[in-house]
Amino acid sequence: MHGKKLVSSLLAGVFLLVLATYSLAGDKGLMMATTTSTDNTGLLEYLIPHFEQETGIALKWTATGTGKALKLGQNCDVDVLLVHAPPAEKAYIEKGYGKDRQEVMYNDFVIIGPESDPAGIKGKSISDALAAVKSKTAPFMSRGDDSGTNKKEKLLWKGAGIPLPDTESWYVQTGQGMLATITIAQEKKGYTMTDRGTYIKYQDSQGGNAPLKVLVEGDKILLNQYSVLTLDPANCPKAKYDLALKYSDWMASASAQKLIGDFRLLGQKLFIPNAK
Amino acid sequence: MTRATYKLNQLQHYYADKRVLDIDTLQIQKGSITGLTGPNGSGKSTLLKIMAFALKPTAGEVWFNGRREVPLSPRVRSRVTLLTQKPYLLKRSVFDNIAYGLKIRRDRDNLENRIKEALESVGLSYNGFAHRQWHELSGGEAQRVAMAARLILKPEVLLLDEPVASVDTKSAGQIRRASLAARKDWGCTLVIASHDLPWLYECSDTQISIANGRLFSTGKEHIIPPPYDLSQKKDPVKWLGTKGKGEYILLPPREKTDGFAVIQQEKIRICREKEKETKDNQITGEITSMLMEKRTQHIMTTLQAKDFSLNISFSPDQAAALKLLPGKRLILMFHSRDIEWR
Amino acid sequence: MDFIVAGFIRAIELLINFDHSTYTAVSATLQASTCSMLISLGAGLPCGFLLGYFNFKGKRPLRTVLDTLLALPTVSVGLLVYAFISSQGPLGQFGLLFTLTGIAIGQTILAFPIVTAITASIVENIDPELKLTLVSLGAGKKNIIMTCLWEVRYGLLAAAVTAYGRVLTEVGISMMVGGNIKYHTRTITTAIALETNKGMFADGIALGIVLIGIAFAVNISLSFLRKQ
Repeated sequence: MHGKKLVSSLLAGVFLLVLATYSLAGDKGLMMATTTSTDNTGLLEYLIPHFEQETGIALKWTATGTGKALKLGQNCDVDVLLVHAPPAEKAYIEKGYGKDRQEVMYNDFVIIGPESDPAGIKGKSISDALAAVKSKTAPFMSRGDDSGTNKKEKLLWKGAGIPLPDTESWYVQTGQGMLATITIAQEKKGYTMTDRGTYIKYQDSQGGNAPLKVLVEGDKILLNQYSVLTLDPANCPKAKYDLALKYSDWMASASAQKLIGDFRLLGQKLFIPNAK
Repeated sequence: MTRATYKLNQLQHYYADKRVLDIDTLQIQKGSITGLTGPNGSGKSTLLKIMAFALKPTAGEVWFNGRREVPLSPRVRSRVTLLTQKPYLLKRSVFDNIAYGLKIRRDRDNLENRIKEALESVGLSYNGFAHRQWHELSGGEAQRVAMAARLILKPEVLLLDEPVASVDTKSAGQIRRASLAARKDWGCTLVIASHDLPWLYECSDTQISIANGRLFSTGKEHIIPPPYDLSQKKDPVKWLGTKGKGEYILLPPREKTDGFAVIQQEKIRICREKEKETKDNQITGEITSMLMEKRTQHIMTTLQAKDFSLNISFSPDQAAALKLLPGKRLILMFHSRDIEWR
Repeated sequence: MDFIVAGFIRAIELLINFDHSTYTAVSATLQASTCSMLISLGAGLPCGFLLGYFNFKGKRPLRTVLDTLLALPTVSVGLLVYAFISSQGPLGQFGLLFTLTGIAIGQTILAFPIVTAITASIVENIDPELKLTLVSLGAGKKNIIMTCLWEVRYGLLAAAVTAYGRVLTEVGISMMVGGNIKYHTRTITTAIALETNKGMFADGIALGIVLIGIAFAVNISLSFLRKQ
């Protein structure tokens, strides 16, 4: 009888405690939408505390695919974007959703695949490599989710003069994030295009010796440019435009650029700061 | 001056399309004990539920203490209480079960003592039972607790629907005693539905039978039960025993599609032997029980002719003249034209 | 396969070291689920009772609709709530997107049909003897309803536990409406989704174990309250 009373009061106490810490707090800081690949590198965890310290502005971010990040900005659900899809970004500004675009850093994309390289693409130029994949009908994993990475990948096929192999059986559209897609590529011993940052993390998670290796890199077209996009106050009057600008300026500032350059993942430099 | 506790008028009740009660009029006097008998499915329980104001009849009026009342009326609440056949308790301790009725009318004075009294009136000790949970009782004990929960309210009317059918002998005795004590102590009106004829005849002032939703006065009229052989439309027959063989009762033609055959007691002659030249029905009935009626000191005798059963009340003189004894056979004579279809 | 074992070890590590991100995820999960459960119980129990107790025109179609809502996919609910609370939506001005409150709203929508439908079933199946007994003991309308509900309290508890299980383990709403913001709206389930997507399977398993641990603790204490 007493045990029952004790347990019920304990339960009630826990619930009350939980509710007490619950707050319907309004959001006084900045809300950012960025991409999963950016977030997954851990750069923001490392960088943003510095921003908050130096400017006193609190920053919260949500990581989704590029498409959704842009949509969130369009819907004025966030105040600022950090994405890596330059053509889409430029169109965004033209459509009146975005206002300022500040290039802040870049890394590159690479084509990875099994060490055995069945399609023999190692060292080739990007166009030749893709042509080889197609002719050998080697399994190729695509994110297929209209993310920044996915948009870049589609550009590569276009640049190689190959129509997007949308319905081909060897072209696998996973609809998922970068790491998930790499995992599937590993399972199926196929090729995929990834940003170097995610590749380094993938390597790390495999204990430094991953089955998929970098086979094609260095092409100029493989550059992955990151930019901060502020939202046009005309479209989003309630968005915190001033704070967003401050964030944009800070990302381009000397201190932030140095921090970005100093960021290491598995001992490897990941991002190259290039704000002008 | 009538001190009718209950007056039922033109009462009809239907479950979906099936008519289960069809009562022209019924009166129950204050402080009386009424016995209600009838086969299963005859509408006994429905009638009691309606009288308990737990069920609203499809048609008709129920008058209680001179006013027309409906379920949940405040004048009826905790004045009329019903005890059903299956012992049912709330999922709580015996104490809380009995206290429930009092608690909801905010009557908490001297609660413990009153509960002790109530338990003792059904033969259960307070120390032994008050703290037991609902699932720690036998069927008989549970029924006794249910009885105590109702008695503690000192209701005006106590309706009992086969209260002892599912309980052990000891509990049955306690419950019977407690109901009679209620009448004695505060003039409680009792209506008892039971198959326990000896008990009913011993304690009740009047008896009513119910069959197919209709009321019959016990002892004054008899139902000739179905099945009926209606193959000859003009001469329907009730076979006693195998169809086409043995004794039978000739019935008058039946107009309606359903109904029971009923014969008034006064139209039956009882003889010791069959007569040769007569157009009456003559059937042999065996005396299966003889009970003393409390109020009238008459002898309620049950005569059985296969599935036709008659309860006839004989005065002590008649009983002596006919030399009535259990097991004895008598001849019942009545003409088919005296049989009514109802 | 070895990530499962690694997961168990990691779970203990996270809990013993009071890992901040884990504990904030636990807190976020508890806050959102508790809030949504309280509201859905507060609204669902009476609605379920009314639906089960009374007979009225349109009862059956209503019941059918409700039972269909039991199969709502959480992502769809998340999308629906997003449409309402997004800046462009009718409730945009309340700033509910990316907050635990928003998640709680979505979870309430998820839990309400469960509580209501199960309660309605329980009430419909109440022993008719119960009502007879209560009327016999002089109960009025209010007492009949309250006592009936108390008598079937264990069934109602089961309804609550079922709804709680669904709410505790959903991802779609938390992800879509909460945004999986670390330390703020990252719940255990969205954290599991994230770690799994990052390929950190051991961490995913670890968080899963933490979640099951919570569910277990709640259920054990609830079973204490039941009779044998």
